[in-house]
Amino acid sequence: MKILYVTVGLIAIYLYVSFASLLWEGLDRKLVARMQRRMGPPILQPFYDFLKLVSKESIIPRDANKFFEIAPILALAASIALLAYTPLGFEPILATKGDVIVFIYLLTLIAFVRVIGAVSSGSPYAQIGAQREIIMLASREVPMMLGLFTILWRLSKLGVEKPFSVGTFYQYNIWEIGTPLTIVGTFVLLMVFLLWLASEIEVGYFNIPEAETEVAEGPMAEYSGRHLALFKLSSALKEFASASLVVAIFFPWGVSGYLGLSGVGAVILDLVFHTLKAFAVLFVSMSIFRAITGRLRITQAVSMFWSRILPMSLIGVVLLVIDVLGVIA
Amino acid sequence: MENRVEYWVKIPIGPIHPALEEPEKFIITLDGERIVNVDVKLGYNLRGLEWVGMRRNYIQILYLAERICGICSFSHNHTYARAVEEMAGIEVPERAEYIRAIIGELERIHSHLLNLGVAGHAIGYDTVLHLSWLARERVMDVLEAIGGNRVNYSINTIGGVRRDIGEKHKRMILDMIKYYREEVMPKIEEIFLYDPTVEARLRDAGVIPKRIAIEYSAQGPTARGSGVEKDVRYNEHLGVYPDLGIKPITPKEFTGIIKGDVFDRMVVRVGELWQSMELIERALDQMPEGKIKAFPKDNVALVRLKKAEGEGIGRYEAPRGELVHYVMANPGSEIPERWKMREPTFPNLFAVARALVGEQLADVPVAIASIDPCLSCTDRVAVIDSKTGKKKILTEKDLLKASIEKTREINPNIKAKPEPIGGTCGGVRL
Amino acid sequence: MTPEEFLDIIVKKFPGVEGEIRENKLPHPRKRVWINVDREEFKEIMKFIKEIDPKAQFSIIIARDGGDYLEAKYHLELFYDHAPSISLIVGTKCPKDDPKLPTVADVFLSALPYEREVQEFLGLFFEGIPDPRKLFLPEDFPEGVYPLRKDEKGISSAMIKNAGHPYKMKKEG
Repeated sequence: MKILYVTVGLIAIYLYVSFASLLWEGLDRKLVARMQRRMGPPILQPFYDFLKLVSKESIIPRDANKFFEIAPILALAASIALLAYTPLGFEPILATKGDVIVFIYLLTLIAFVRVIGAVSSGSPYAQIGAQREIIMLASREVPMMLGLFTILWRLSKLGVEKPFSVGTFYQYNIWEIGTPLTIVGTFVLLMVFLLWLASEIEVGYFNIPEAETEVAEGPMAEYSGRHLALFKLSSALKEFASASLVVAIFFPWGVSGYLGLSGVGAVILDLVFHTLKAFAVLFVSMSIFRAITGRLRITQAVSMFWSRILPMSLIGVVLLVIDVLGVIA
Repeated sequence: MENRVEYWVKIPIGPIHPALEEPEKFIITLDGERIVNVDVKLGYNLRGLEWVGMRRNYIQILYLAERICGICSFSHNHTYARAVEEMAGIEVPERAEYIRAIIGELERIHSHLLNLGVAGHAIGYDTVLHLSWLARERVMDVLEAIGGNRVNYSINTIGGVRRDIGEKHKRMILDMIKYYREEVMPKIEEIFLYDPTVEARLRDAGVIPKRIAIEYSAQGPTARGSGVEKDVRYNEHLGVYPDLGIKPITPKEFTGIIKGDVFDRMVVRVGELWQSMELIERALDQMPEGKIKAFPKDNVALVRLKKAEGEGIGRYEAPRGELVHYVMANPGSEIPERWKMREPTFPNLFAVARALVGEQLADVPVAIASIDPCLSCTDRVAVIDSKTGKKKILTEKDLLKASIEKTREINPNIKAKPEPIGGTCGGVRL
Repeated sequence: MTPEEFLDIIVKKFPGVEGEIRENKLPHPRKRVWINVDREEFKEIMKFIKEIDPKAQFSIIIARDGGDYLEAKYHLELFYDHAPSISLIVGTKCPKDDPKLPTVADVFLSALPYEREVQEFLGLFFEGIPDPRKLFLPEDFPEGVYPLRKDEKGISSAMIKNAGHPYKMKKEG
């Protein structure tokens, strides 16, 4: 019975998040277009793109090996698995003790599968894009994980039974602690997370691996048709899942509690409210960021991570640590 | 060292690549992200204009020259007209010279705004692209009002200009300058002089040192960005420009230093936008009344040119740099003996290819965009293949045949049939 | 330095050079120095120009088929820091049965692409050119055809007919 419930839930969530994330792509394109004083495409354009790509022939380069075809499927599989561990206004479906770590693992796996697909394609553009992706991957996760685990550790001091689970965020809220140091520290970490989110979905400063004018879409250079459609869908899912993490950490509040709902109605309401919050976070971190910045060089981006964002994250961590140690002492 | 070579990657940028507006090929050898060697291959846009020019008369070449390039169409037929005038010793009325200066500067504004947007796009800053091209629409409207076309405005003729600038146009131009001064230029300056992203990407990218700029004779904003004070309008004493107070612009006046990087080239373009607006205002003020062309009709000009002897060189500072046209008369004939032109992109391409060695791959698009390459200008000479050509063309025909058959297969109701296009012109079938 | 002074210096150093100054009729008349040299002296004179102004700018090679000879004219600009600068055209010739000129790519680096262009379009070869590859024309372009020649080595009418317009095929069958 449990398995049935989980399977049905996962399929429902998968369908819903696919819809929501493609809808966001459309909204994002329209919003950025308006910021650039253009008309922009219709909001449903990503759906049309997806359907058209699915129906088109997929061209496989002569030099490509087997992984070229497997990679898109693996990427989509990883992103569907990711949804099972994504907080969506309620605890993830497969909530366990250490699901935060699984979440990060799966998130990295998607990028890794993209790299494997790109390297297998045999195109020099894709190779360079893959190199860039790996460099970005190694740089961007450090400040994020540091911040994430510090927040979890801080919350675990309040008495949580499963400290490394996403569910923690729905039990306690980091803002509720309320001491000035925590609030400042959390605010700094929020900045870090918004920058991380921008680099995770590769926009603005961090649009380096897929740089259209430099390496012709980088890892995606050789993909077409169905395979490209699968990658597009998986990166849309990844965008939404990453934004969901930020929402769960910093803005976990639901509305169903205030309205006194319960059961399925509460779940659906929370899910919709969560989607709106995720859209808001993405609006800041994706649309606005994309409209007001250009791409950096890879060296500049890496040095930005290690010399700006990592120290920023450290400051936030130190503030939280001082606060905790003060509480204990 | 032997083993090291294996890690080098050769990547072709072009002939088709999202960073390039027109087909050209850079073969770039990479060691990781660092560029080891750059080779240039041209000719993907050859149209055989010089060859065609050997079969056209002076007036026809005027319009052919205009179609060398879409962006600097005025520059080409202006320079060609100057070369012919120098050859035949034709005197141009002063009002025509002022109109040429005004249109030339309007064209410079539209070309520079275009290039600023393209540079923004090359670094992934698309907002700059869309907003600067939006601003560019205004000058295109003015050009359309004066010349009747957004590009290829056909202003020049031999011995003058074809269209006058009236009171209505004057008001329109002044309105446009006001709009640019108050609304566009502050934003452009903020982006290209102070924006951190733009500075991070353009500073120290694609550096062309002064020595290389001189050795490879870089032209236009590319040379001036490297500190070479070279502007044909100034050192050629061209037309009425000395009366308008022309001076070459270098980045020194804006930022105080000259590094010769992409940033400096963009600064030069921003400075030239300001300069062009001042020049237009002064020209509108000083413009005398009078005739606008030396010959009332084109056929009168042709009769005069038929008697001409000798040769002439026309030089002009196109938005991208020095443009040279050479015309040699063939006495007794309407067709010139030789017509030859050189575009600024040609030397600039080799200068930038040399400058890219040792830089990062990420700098390639922006460095190429920074010289504002105009390849249909550069690839002007072409020809039809012969022995191998025959074979090739057969394949082409086969392809077309196959494609038509396939279309019919898919949709038998299709009525359209490929028709031969082009008529006879100057005795030669197009 | 005025154009007259410049021409004096050249003529004093190379007595065999025929040179003249022509002026056009722009609102600000512009003088150009036109000189013609033999191809034996040509390279020396280019080196000498480089000595006069080390920053001299190489603009263009204008090559043409003049019947029984091939002619190349080089436009250079000197002293462009001052207005007006000196606009100099150096012309030289070679007979068609020995179409060779000395390269100046070692004196003026930027001459190389123009020399490559002239080589492929006119069959006027430069001795000692560092990079003789084709620049504009495709690699498989037939040997011995030089498009801008006006004699039998140029584009023949048969080639033009064969090239045709791809859309013409409907008429032919």
